[in-house]
Amino acid sequence: MPVHNEAAVVQGVLTELRKTFSNVVAVDDGSEDGSAAEIMKAGAVLVRHAVNLGAGAAMETGLAYALAQPGATYFVTFDADGQHQVHDAAAMVALLRTGEIDVALGSRFIESGEAQGIPRSRRLLLQAGRRFESMTSGVSLTDAHCGLRAFNRAFAQQIRLKLRGMAHASELLDVLKRSGLRYREVPVTVLYTAYSMKKGQKSINSVNIAMDVWLHQLFSRRAGR
Amino acid sequence: MSVIKAILVVAIVAAALWALRHRENVGLRAGGRLLLFAVGALAIVSVAVPDITQKAADAVGVQRGTDLVLYGLIITFVFTSAGLYFRQRDLEYRFATLTRALAIHQAVEPADLTGSIPELPDSTA
Repeated sequence: MPVHNEAAVVQGVLTELRKTFSNVVAVDDGSEDGSAAEIMKAGAVLVRHAVNLGAGAAMETGLAYALAQPGATYFVTFDADGQHQVHDAAAMVALLRTGEIDVALGSRFIESGEAQGIPRSRRLLLQAGRRFESMTSGVSLTDAHCGLRAFNRAFAQQIRLKLRGMAHASELLDVLKRSGLRYREVPVTVLYTAYSMKKGQKSINSVNIAMDVWLHQLFSRRAGR
Repeated sequence: MSVIKAILVVAIVAAALWALRHRENVGLRAGGRLLLFAVGALAIVSVAVPDITQKAADAVGVQRGTDLVLYGLIITFVFTSAGLYFRQRDLEYRFATLTRALAIHQAVEPADLTGSIPELPDSTA
């Protein structure tokens, strides 16, 4: 779980998570508030970036730590601001355990998924992002940027992200497509609280994301990055 | 715009894309540096013989010498910016890798809790 300046909520989110998942790694991505102390109070593993590197890099750090733990089979990424539901994550892992798929991606727009309190403008933007994504990555999803995902070791080991900021979600789909692993979208509920809206992405940042993704695809060498 | 101009523009864009995709090719980097020397030499020549840009422009069918210099400048600028963009991104990636290694090395596990709250690893963020 990547954490950046979430001292107000992170302990609650982690405590809730640890009721279901015993091994929780929180990556403090150079927070300037008391996030690190809150993480330790919640009893999660604390991995701390000395400087802020962005959510994608923080996620990769968490995975690198988790991959190094013997016996780690399934991996879940979860947002720190409390917008995700622990039971959704548990359902995704249960689905992975059946062996039918390698990667489960959360979607708030798939049938029976929910985006409570989502502003209309944000819904439209995410839909536009989804179209852009399926155009550039060739992976067609109903929800492009949901932070709740679960996957097995095979996929976790392939994740190497180079794009800064939120463009990592798009880059991740790129990795997914090239991996040839089986994936499925799973309906999840995302809560748009006043807190998450205040902390979350500015809509205009989607312009930066799109440019980063586009440049990356245009200029990346085809074989091995 | 005449057909030949359109072809030239397309060729420049294609060459730029190709060069940026293969930006780690040693020959290309060497070529870029040699080009730098050539540009430096041309600059000296054009100071010594100011008319030469006009003559060069006439030779390739550009109306004014200054326009020719401007075109060259634009192309150089685009390539330099793109080169710097990618170099910066590579550096950022190395920086992230380093920070990650450090963070994992200093990870605090809950099992470390021996009654008291362990000290936070150094962070000068």
